[in-house]
Amino acid sequence: MSIELGHFALVLAFAIAVVSAMGGLLLWRRGERLAAVLGQAAILQFVLVSVAFLAVVHAFVVSDFSLALAANHSHSLKPLIFKISGVWGNHEGSMLLWVLILVLFGALAAAFRRSLPSDLTNLVLGTQSLLTAAFAGFTLFTSNPFARLSPAPLEGGDLNPVLQDVGLAIHPPLLYAGYVGFSICFSFAIAALISGRIDQAWARWVRPWTMLSWVFLTLGIAMGSYWAYYELGWGGWWFWDPVENASFMPWLAGTALLHSALVMEKRNALKIWTIFLAIITFSLSLLGTFLVRSGILTSVHTFASDPTRGLVILAMLAVLIGGAFLLFAIRSPALRQGGLFAPISREGALILNNLFLATAVGAVLVGTLYPLLLDALTGTTISVGAPFFNFTFGALMAPLLLVLPFGPLLAWKRADLVAAGQRLMGFAALAVFLAILISALAGNSISLVPIGLLLGFWVTFGAIAELIERSRLGRIPLAESLRRLAGLPRSIWSTAIGHMGLGLTVLGIVSVSAWETELVTTLNPGETAELSGYEIAFDSFEQLEGANYLADTGVFTVTGPNGGTAVLMPERRTYVASGTPTTEAAIQSYGLSQLYLQLGEPLEDTHVIRVWHKPYILLIWIGALVMSGAGILSLSDRRVRFGVPQAARKAKLEASR
Amino acid sequence: MPRLADKRLGPMIFWSIAIAVTAIACAALFYAAAGRTVNATTGEMADQNRHFRLALDAIEADERSGKLDASQALAAKGELAREILRDKAAPDPAPARSFGQLQLLSGLAITAALSLALYAFLGRPDLPAQPLADRPELVAQSLDLDDAVARIEARLIEAPDDLRGWQVIAPAYLEMGRFADAAEAYRRVMALSAPSADLRTDLAEALLLDANGAGSDEAMDQLEQAVAADAGHVRSRLYLAAEFMRLGRYDQAQTYWQQAINLAQGNESWLPAARQGLAVAANDGVDTTAADQAEMIQGMVGGLADRLYAEGGSVEEWSQLVRSYLVLNDRDNAQRAYDAAVIAYPAAFDRGELDTLALDAGLTLNGDDQ
Repeated sequence: MSIELGHFALVLAFAIAVVSAMGGLLLWRRGERLAAVLGQAAILQFVLVSVAFLAVVHAFVVSDFSLALAANHSHSLKPLIFKISGVWGNHEGSMLLWVLILVLFGALAAAFRRSLPSDLTNLVLGTQSLLTAAFAGFTLFTSNPFARLSPAPLEGGDLNPVLQDVGLAIHPPLLYAGYVGFSICFSFAIAALISGRIDQAWARWVRPWTMLSWVFLTLGIAMGSYWAYYELGWGGWWFWDPVENASFMPWLAGTALLHSALVMEKRNALKIWTIFLAIITFSLSLLGTFLVRSGILTSVHTFASDPTRGLVILAMLAVLIGGAFLLFAIRSPALRQGGLFAPISREGALILNNLFLATAVGAVLVGTLYPLLLDALTGTTISVGAPFFNFTFGALMAPLLLVLPFGPLLAWKRADLVAAGQRLMGFAALAVFLAILISALAGNSISLVPIGLLLGFWVTFGAIAELIERSRLGRIPLAESLRRLAGLPRSIWSTAIGHMGLGLTVLGIVSVSAWETELVTTLNPGETAELSGYEIAFDSFEQLEGANYLADTGVFTVTGPNGGTAVLMPERRTYVASGTPTTEAAIQSYGLSQLYLQLGEPLEDTHVIRVWHKPYILLIWIGALVMSGAGILSLSDRRVRFGVPQAARKAKLEASR
Repeated sequence: MPRLADKRLGPMIFWSIAIAVTAIACAALFYAAAGRTVNATTGEMADQNRHFRLALDAIEADERSGKLDASQALAAKGELAREILRDKAAPDPAPARSFGQLQLLSGLAITAALSLALYAFLGRPDLPAQPLADRPELVAQSLDLDDAVARIEARLIEAPDDLRGWQVIAPAYLEMGRFADAAEAYRRVMALSAPSADLRTDLAEALLLDANGAGSDEAMDQLEQAVAADAGHVRSRLYLAAEFMRLGRYDQAQTYWQQAINLAQGNESWLPAARQGLAVAANDGVDTTAADQAEMIQGMVGGLADRLYAEGGSVEEWSQLVRSYLVLNDRDNAQRAYDAAVIAYPAAFDRGELDTLALDAGLTLNGDDQ
């Protein structure tokens, strides 16, 4: 009965969402009493969808194959963690997870609405309910996870082996939290357009939500990238695959939104642009969902595809995004632009940031959609590959990275560029010196490599310029400097750390792209190969048995350049239920570098072995983690935390300086 | 009787719970509205004022820390003052009417009606949960072939005239590779019923499999009887043709291939094989298709190579070219094509299958030269 109760809970949540959407959007002026009801409704939606989700999880865990979803995507022999994560390793289940996170954010918005005026509350919760109604309705009517089978089959069809990995337990929930989190910004934007209430207070409410979603999206993308890196067996960490682009575009737009909301919060400027970005960001999240869920793209993310579903999602997309932009077109002329500033100012720098990020979104969007459109319209299949994206995206990011360190050093409204330049001089010199030194040591001539290194070091060092400036390091006693450093607002720390994380990622990308080495060869047990100073000895070949798979395992002993040895065991697995083979690479970290070993196809009397040495590749993901950490630090800053800003405490802090 | 009661009881309990859940949800929403009849606009005003105070604090902080000089601070304060004036001058939003009891109740009614009706349409309240652990009957059903065969064998020893038993066990023996037993079972079936063309062919199949390519006179005899008995029987003709091919009696093989092909509808899976068999039989056992194939590949390879060397192409095309040269046993050209492909696709990441192909054939990798 638990399955049917879960089904009913989802239906009830849908009904509450439909009525809340109507109530919130039509009666938004009816004050605090309606807000209280909508807030309660948002929390109820979350409780009910959680019940529905847990019912599906339970059916997977006890292998109840009368649930069609479990019969198609689970297997009684699967380890428990993959039974649970398998819930969202398929179309229906991932839609349910999407709805769960949507209502979670709605409930959070309701719970933290204390200081929010009732008309905004009503509109935000109404819009959020509209989204819930749309997606829960889509789930119930076209891809119901609660479809039953009678009689129930004996055994399930198993989950795609590539997805049987901890990555599936972490990557989709994080990514969805990021995607869906931007729905709150979208709802706030719609509320601002309808109510005409758009001011600094609005930005102060929106920014934490943007930051939270951005942190989740950053972690989700980084996790997805690392997962693809170790699971797909090719050692690639970013493929410019349309599905990756679909998650990367909201990230770029969200990054732009984060910065423009800052301008709006601090300076009451860029209001209309911020609203526009909020709509764009969530629209790109929806577009990503459409691309992945409609079956237009075939990839490991597509699971099962069904053209009718694609059409329904497209229609929903058209109505939601089209409606939002229509509202924007009608209402934005009536909104008041505010806050003037000189071109050279913090605002100006942030606009430059937005300009480059928005153009980058455009470039990625064109590269992703153009082949699809061309295929749909003329039937010609072309592929826009990595060279296009590397070139276009690189060309757009280089100037952005170049001016990035200036931004935080410029004052609001009007600033002195020369003064900021002087303060950065030392860091610029250091970056140039390191870039030349490393390039010379590595024997690189004038090419993109030193330029990339230069940008990476420049951003990394430039990020801490403001910290050093504010603490007057070197100009006053060290203890005094440290005291000042500790007393700096967390928002300044988070800016510096966030930008430094970006610099680290850039350094990792440049290093791997420039100095990666690879070796493809045939090897038999007892033989050795050598790559970049690492000695790889093939000790033995064994056949091992896992919980639900058989594995051909190569046992290798790798001797590093410094003499340490490690045993690496790459596998080729065959899953019993589906008979599908997968490749499990073995990865060994040496500091920030990694050695990546893949056991290739078996040949008649030997084995294909692929080895990659990836210098400093971990910096790519460490940078992403540092950026996310900076976001969390910024969220913890009292001044932008949900609820009442601590005006009194801040005044005291200022007085104590 | 008790089963029927169970069947009705399940949905009844379910609906009671569903209605209770709906009622609780509606009550929670109803009481959320209670006690909030005061329209609190004062809170909003306070919020707006607090915001302006914060902005003023920020300007003063900037001035103290030297980010703004006195005149800039003054200008910023002026800007803030204008903002406040504009905000105060803006007309209040239309006087808010309160959210009435009627609207609340009708909303709750729609919610309850929509959810119950929609579930009645979508749901299956009659289906109980069936977790694997609660399905002991499955253990009986999932007996494997060996157990089932053993059970039937035991019964056939007691009742050797059980036609149904022999009919079931014969194909099972075949599937298990016990061909002699299968042949014996088919003989029993034929003895207990009328020997049809199908049965004779089944027996012949078991005998031929048992002979493992050495042929069987009894099988030939059965097949010929089957052909004679049924002018429309395809399977026996195919077996017969294949056997004659093996014996090198191409004239007879040709006859039966032709008969089988004449009986075909046109989309059978065996048709291409039969046509090829006919062609080989007509040519007295010499297969000309292999030579044709080589010639065709050579022609295709020439075109593909010209294009790939001139304009480049995908990894798949390069792989196809290398594979074709290997089939033609042209190792020099295969190596040349592979080297060109490695230059076009320097990352091993892009070349997956191509590398395997080349390594399998013993071509040299660029990596080995270093």
